[in-house]
Amino acid sequence: MNAAPATGLATPDARAEGLVSGFVRAGYARLEPATLQPAEPFLDLSGEDIRKRMYLTVDPQGREMCLRPDLTIPVSRDYLASPQAGKPAGFCYLGAVFRHREDEPSEFLQAGIESFGRTDIAAADAEMLALGLEATGHYGLAVPEIRLGDVGLFAALVAALDLAPAWKRRLVKDFNHKSTLAHDLDRLVISTAHTRPEYQGMLAALAGSDPSAARALVADLLSIAGISTVGGRSVGEIAERFLEQATMSVQSSLPRETRSLIERFLAIGGDPDQAAAQLRGLAQDAGLDLDKALDLFESRTGFLAARGIDVGRIHFSTAFGRGVDYYTGFVFELHRAGMPESGQLVAGGRYDGLLTRIGSPAPIPAVGFAVWIERLAACGSAR
Amino acid sequence: MSSPFVIAIPAKGRLQENAEAFFARAGLELIKPRGARNYRGTIADLPGIEVAYVSAGEIAQLLAQGGVHFGVTGEDLLREMISDIDASIVFIDALGFGYANVVVAVPQAWIDVHSMADLDDVATAFRLKHDRKMRLATKYVNLTRTFFSEQGITDYRIVESTGATEGAPAAGTAELIVDITTTGTTLAANALKVIDDGLILRSQANLVAARGATWGANEREIARLLLDRIAAQKTARAFREVRTRFVRCDEQLLAEAKLRFGVQSPFGGPTSSGMLTLHCPPGQVHPLANFLRQHGAENVAVAALDYVFSRENPLFARLQAGLGD
Repeated sequence: MNAAPATGLATPDARAEGLVSGFVRAGYARLEPATLQPAEPFLDLSGEDIRKRMYLTVDPQGREMCLRPDLTIPVSRDYLASPQAGKPAGFCYLGAVFRHREDEPSEFLQAGIESFGRTDIAAADAEMLALGLEATGHYGLAVPEIRLGDVGLFAALVAALDLAPAWKRRLVKDFNHKSTLAHDLDRLVISTAHTRPEYQGMLAALAGSDPSAARALVADLLSIAGISTVGGRSVGEIAERFLEQATMSVQSSLPRETRSLIERFLAIGGDPDQAAAQLRGLAQDAGLDLDKALDLFESRTGFLAARGIDVGRIHFSTAFGRGVDYYTGFVFELHRAGMPESGQLVAGGRYDGLLTRIGSPAPIPAVGFAVWIERLAACGSAR
Repeated sequence: MSSPFVIAIPAKGRLQENAEAFFARAGLELIKPRGARNYRGTIADLPGIEVAYVSAGEIAQLLAQGGVHFGVTGEDLLREMISDIDASIVFIDALGFGYANVVVAVPQAWIDVHSMADLDDVATAFRLKHDRKMRLATKYVNLTRTFFSEQGITDYRIVESTGATEGAPAAGTAELIVDITTTGTTLAANALKVIDDGLILRSQANLVAARGATWGANEREIARLLLDRIAAQKTARAFREVRTRFVRCDEQLLAEAKLRFGVQSPFGGPTSSGMLTLHCPPGQVHPLANFLRQHGAENVAVAALDYVFSRENPLFARLQAGLGD
């Protein structure tokens, strides 16, 4: 299955080099980020679960380092460190990444593109999918299965719902990490069983009062106890959530109407045009304003069609995320049709929040994708 | 016979003292023929055994690699440091010392956080507000990751800490910690509190065997001898010997005593003259003595036991079953 030579070193062949040459011709400058990277950004952005798949080491200064498990973060770091930081710029890459995998080699090749700073969001998204399709085409796979999602739509839905902040956080988090959220909604309960009984009376008394006065009271109580900022959370944050619990104790599971609305939303799928029509219908029925997110979605579909992509062939699903919480909008995966279990061949999406999380002073729009070279090569040779 | 049977013992502190006392009670005197500062020892009257004094953490690694046959160390370290623990280790016995709980602790100021569910919500809120993940300081990276993953908590990241973990939140290097605690005093002194359902592991010192070590007939025989003494002493500690003789002492009385006081009769029922030897749990000795006298006993003698050697050896049976074949 694997195209890596017997030496075990994942080395690009002429075909892979040909792929990135195409990316360079499309205007993406080639970057060669360092193999050895600080571990922190990967752990912070991808979650602790990635730790067991990473190759970690410690440098003589005691800093935790790793062999790069992907190239999105290294390319983003190099871009931020360059004079172009903050300005529109596009990069491509080809190189080995290192992730412990049971059934496939742990050192494998990825090519890809990262596009920073473009404000024509819909057009940039569409270009990524078009370039991803060129990559599969380069390996002889002209019509892969296209899976499309838009994390921004779910975020817009949650923002528009009339729900306690704790519920909104819970839904956004579970959407990112549970593929089964739609089936789990009836079991989704925010437990207040652990709220101390001795606090109940006070919380109940505070529940009806003026929020800012109540917050000031809790903040005062904490400062009397000599507590200012402990463990990175300010007194204001603690007070705010403490008071949220006053409202939560009455609302411990999702209201039935909200639940059926979310279920209906997550069941929407099909090609992007059908889905958009259904989403407009849902927003109108429920009286929710999803216009901004839907306008972007429809505009993106228009750009995809303009790039010659047969939009009717795209499998869009509102429930499709990529399980990575740094994605903020458009997400996609390309698979060999009928063989989803062999893993994605190309995958990517929009990650507008990532650059600030690794140190950019201002938000920078970003979108990109990665290509699994060995899988594509195996796929092409198996044809 | 060339390579010895190796037992790894903690090289310092209370754990070493307790481990030595544990072996001594079983009549296994650990000696250091080359002086107290030497890290290699033997057992006084059992040849062919080498005692290796190493750090508690290193013991876990040696056991995982099969570099020693037996080891005494905390379950917390074993579970933290050995990824596939059932494949590498046979738990022989919990030793009743070195108690410590591995817990999740947060600043006391977090008056809105009592449960892991609260923590989950706070973690997500923290990421959304501060654009970074909450940091958790610990040396129990694997235990923490497994526990948090079971709880569905994802918005956190681990900062490895090798000492004075309790100080991390005050020092600003982490928001919360996972650490061991026995009484909670150190946590309280650092203005931290344990999450109600944040108990990851109740740990104590364990005697364990390494599957990966060489287990030939010779090694198994040494293990049997060691475990025979340990089991004999363990049984002896769990009982007092109670002896009496009186005419009305019969099988029916014995059956009642077994039911009421949990006694055993290691040498069978009363003799024709009514002589009886019982093994009784320490807490039941006085009620049993009353019971026997009520039924006619003139005198009841109670003595501590040094060893109770039995044909069956549950500890060795556990080792054999764990090693397979």
